[in-house]
Amino acid sequence: MLSSLAQVLLSGLQIGCIYALMALGYFVILRATGILNFAQGEWMMISGVLGVVLIAFGVPYYLALLAAIAGAVLLALAAERAIIRPLQARGAPQPIVLLSLFGTMLVARYGTGVLFGRQDLPLDGPAGSGITIIGEANFIANQTLVVYAITAAAFFGVAIFMTRTWLGRSLRVASIDPLAASLIGVDLTRVRVVSFGLGALIAATCGWLYFPLYAVGYLNGSIPGIKGFIALFVGGMATTMGPLAGGLALGLVEVAASFYLPSIYAEGAAFVLLMIILVAKPSGLTGGKES
Amino acid sequence: MTTATSTAATRLFIPNTAVGVIVAIALVIPFFGSTYHITLAVNLCVTLILTLSLNLVVGSSGQFHLSHAAFFGLGAYTSAVLAKTVGIPPLLCLPLSVLLVCTLALLVGLPTTRLRGLYLAVATLAFSLFVEVFVNQGGALTGGGYGIQDVPALTISGTVLSGRAFYPLALLLMLLVAGSLYGLMRSRLGREILAVRDHSDAAAAAGINPPVIRTLVLVIAAGFAAIAGWLHCFYHLALNASLVSPELTFVWFFMVLVGGIGNVRGVVIGTVLLTLLPEFLGVATGQTILGIGVLMIIVTLFAPRGLGGVLDDAIARFGKARS
Repeated sequence: MLSSLAQVLLSGLQIGCIYALMALGYFVILRATGILNFAQGEWMMISGVLGVVLIAFGVPYYLALLAAIAGAVLLALAAERAIIRPLQARGAPQPIVLLSLFGTMLVARYGTGVLFGRQDLPLDGPAGSGITIIGEANFIANQTLVVYAITAAAFFGVAIFMTRTWLGRSLRVASIDPLAASLIGVDLTRVRVVSFGLGALIAATCGWLYFPLYAVGYLNGSIPGIKGFIALFVGGMATTMGPLAGGLALGLVEVAASFYLPSIYAEGAAFVLLMIILVAKPSGLTGGKES
Repeated sequence: MTTATSTAATRLFIPNTAVGVIVAIALVIPFFGSTYHITLAVNLCVTLILTLSLNLVVGSSGQFHLSHAAFFGLGAYTSAVLAKTVGIPPLLCLPLSVLLVCTLALLVGLPTTRLRGLYLAVATLAFSLFVEVFVNQGGALTGGGYGIQDVPALTISGTVLSGRAFYPLALLLMLLVAGSLYGLMRSRLGREILAVRDHSDAAAAAGINPPVIRTLVLVIAAGFAAIAGWLHCFYHLALNASLVSPELTFVWFFMVLVGGIGNVRGVVIGTVLLTLLPEFLGVATGQTILGIGVLMIIVTLFAPRGLGGVLDDAIARFGKARS
């Protein structure tokens, strides 16, 4: 057995990676468009539900995985086209956009419940249930290693994309000054489509990391969806390191709280952490200037 | 933020008298109707208090606060715990729960006054989510997921106020809240609230303290939400954790938006419509939430200025077609 501290660290890091990935999805969209996309958790959920349905129909595992992720991303792009684009074109104020996204979230969530049933179903992780032995008598689940690897790859990829490519840089400049950005040749519609697609891709992939730990169900995207934007605001959104730091911090705080404190503190820990951060340092853990 | 004007169209097509007649019919029916009608009417009164007070925060004051459901739920839970566990007379629970919720709103409002836009929304949403966890995990105090049942009924000088006898009280409190909000917005304080919303710096230069005004608005609205919670508690005499669900705030905000943000008459129309329509259409059988989601998308896309805005646009098009 691993010592209790190591156990807390390992499971905190695992859930922290998942929160960080969800935060990264919000981050990409928020940096490009200034929109907090409430529906992120639902794209994750839909990816898991589609996966379970496809596998039940006998589709090979990895084909089902790719098709489910592609399906969730297509839905997100359809929502962008049908809902976000007209609102942005009209210059709708933020509360209206948020309410519209909240409606989208409700439709995605309860629509899935109507179409695919309301039961919770298991989903195997890409790494199955194998374990890797570390040292004498300690082990780590292969699925956990997959979570670490995907998180590292996703953050590395997004960081390179946002700083080294023309499209990624135009994503960053678009929300700071949309008018100036469009004057220097940034296609704002393209930026928005790419950011919503990339955000949904990250969330849909994250579903295949999170659901194997719990279960797939139409309500189960809600909690990781909430934890994701909390992690983003905890970490700050100055750089790509913000969502990473926020996710890991949130995961560690939560697991430590559930390990050492009664459950009422554990489940509320994320919200208390966010309130403290927003009041003390609104720009987040990694944020430089006050926002 | 859309500004608070009753549009030309609402004045033309929905005259005050028509609104008055519809509201009056809705409010008089329960005196004769069945238990179902009474419950519907009490819930309507409760929701009206909530949307009118939310409109004060989001509309008149322009703060995108997402903690209204927490204040409502805590008002209801405080009343239930005080009446059942502590044994305080139900009538006395009203000022006590209002006081507690107002204090809490002050504690939430003071540190969040410097937050704006999305940051304010996320911080207050986090508070609301925390309250939900607190109620769900509260053990014996809140009854956890089971909630609290068998709350002692309200008695005034020996008469038990329940069912039909409770309704006049709900109506009276709703009218008092609506009246005081009407009076507030016509007072000096009301003009200061609008000044802080429209131009904070100019208001500060004129000797108004914007953070104080913003916090005050939140405390007043939270107090009204607690009154709604008290009403809910002593009509239903049972409550559960769904009362503190942060999603409720979005639904109330939607009711405010359907009528037209900031416009009191619009808020009343929106609330009555969205409370009664699902009942009449019979969608209350299970797909209500899905239906509300669809309506949210349709209204934000096609009628962002509320019903009055839709009529305005229709008139404009009609005028163009004729000329």
